Amino acid sequence: MSKVLAGSTAVVGVGQTEFSKAAGRSETQLASEAIVAALADAGLSVADVDGLVSYTIDPVEETELVRGLGIPEIGFSSRVPYGGGGSQGVVLHAAAAVASGAADVVVAYRAVKARSGARFGRAGGGGSPTSSHSGTTAMQWCAPFGVLTPASWMSLNATRYMYTYGVESQDFGRAVVQFREYAANNPNAHFYGKPITLEDHQASRWIAEPAIRLFDCCQETDGSVALVITSAERARDSERPVLIAAVAGAGLFEEEIASNHYQPDLAVMSGSVALARRLFDGFGIARSEIDVAMIYDAFSPIFLMQLEGLGFCDFGEAKHFIADGHLGLKGSLPSNTNGGLIGEGYIHGLNLTVEAVRQLRGFSSNQVENPTTALVCANRTGVILRRP
Amino acid sequence: MCPTCHAVEYDIVDLAGTGVVYSYSILHHPQNPAFDYPVVAVLVDLDEGVRIVSNLIGIEPSEVSIGLPVRVRFVPTRDEMAVPVFTPLAVAQ
Repeated sequence: MSKVLAGSTAVVGVGQTEFSKAAGRSETQLASEAIVAALADAGLSVADVDGLVSYTIDPVEETELVRGLGIPEIGFSSRVPYGGGGSQGVVLHAAAAVASGAADVVVAYRAVKARSGARFGRAGGGGSPTSSHSGTTAMQWCAPFGVLTPASWMSLNATRYMYTYGVESQDFGRAVVQFREYAANNPNAHFYGKPITLEDHQASRWIAEPAIRLFDCCQETDGSVALVITSAERARDSERPVLIAAVAGAGLFEEEIASNHYQPDLAVMSGSVALARRLFDGFGIARSEIDVAMIYDAFSPIFLMQLEGLGFCDFGEAKHFIADGHLGLKGSLPSNTNGGLIGEGYIHGLNLTVEAVRQLRGFSSNQVENPTTALVCANRTGVILRRP
Repeated sequence: MCPTCHAVEYDIVDLAGTGVVYSYSILHHPQNPAFDYPVVAVLVDLDEGVRIVSNLIGIEPSEVSIGLPVRVRFVPTRDEMAVPVFTPLAVAQ
């Protein structure tokens, strides 16, 4: 494979704060704490950092962050557009910066107070302080009709998916039960020690009927996550590097945040189809090489739709794939082993990347046996990580 | 700009105001004081090929289904403004 990005960079450190419903401190402080932890994990200092990457909707302002951390010199920075569908885009930006020589050590971060601050699940959140436009202009066509929240936007697609392929709420519920089983074993998860049954799922109240019940929703979470990315060559000096074997974005800007109501067939997540082409075909990696997967589960229906779009099963077959136990530790595709965004918490999906790194290092709370290759993807952005 | 031919001229044309429900969602929570719940949100494929987000009124939420023929009705909001919502075609006629 001749792609410059194939295996030329690595994640050398991950860090995070606790995930909670009330962090009690600013996003800037949360990001700073996560970054300090990630650098310590990498065995690097702030003096090594010359790149910063985050999201257009992240509220942390770079100047404050750089001054607070005492980073002497930044040579590269960028922000990834989109909501959670862009969550792996920071890995792409960081890896591209390092592979091109624009930066040597890039920190990717996300800090959010999605519960104690502006609640993500509610209507009325404006642009972030750092970006007034965050891919939300199509919302004006939704708001007059009470379609105000991420659950309401996505449920319109999900209902069509259910109709097209004969999918029922309990089919989503089986994925949720698996995620909650993983979360129950993860001390860092919101739902630590709280597994549910399918009956519990079916008894949870409707948010957006017939697609999304309360237990189908991710957690509004306060917290921060950071990754440290450098060259594969430099990573050889670090203690526990994980190679970035493939990284891609696909079909960006074809839709805005969770408001893709206009493409011909809403029963298919076209972003996942395009991403799979770039990630698997583009880098010459087979789906069968994936030992463990983290797939963006802001709401459970889009987990099933991505399984199909990515090509792990045929369209309409995700419900059988899940019912057959493929997501479990003994299955063919153990998935969202931290509990996912539904069970652990929602840090924009970047906490899924941290869990993939943990799996490859062998320190997950729900450890897959000796994994070498991990997939992390969020609709239109994704990364494949490998143990060196 | 037109993504097909890059023309910048545009015109306003009357549509028939009829279409079918492409998808729907019955919204229960969270509730915003501006709306009566449950809100029936729909995607309507208009006969001319345009899809829009709207509401379906004049129907029990449990009766909503994909493929239902619907017709537009304009509901006043404030001042001289109105929004296009839909009713089942059978009711509209």
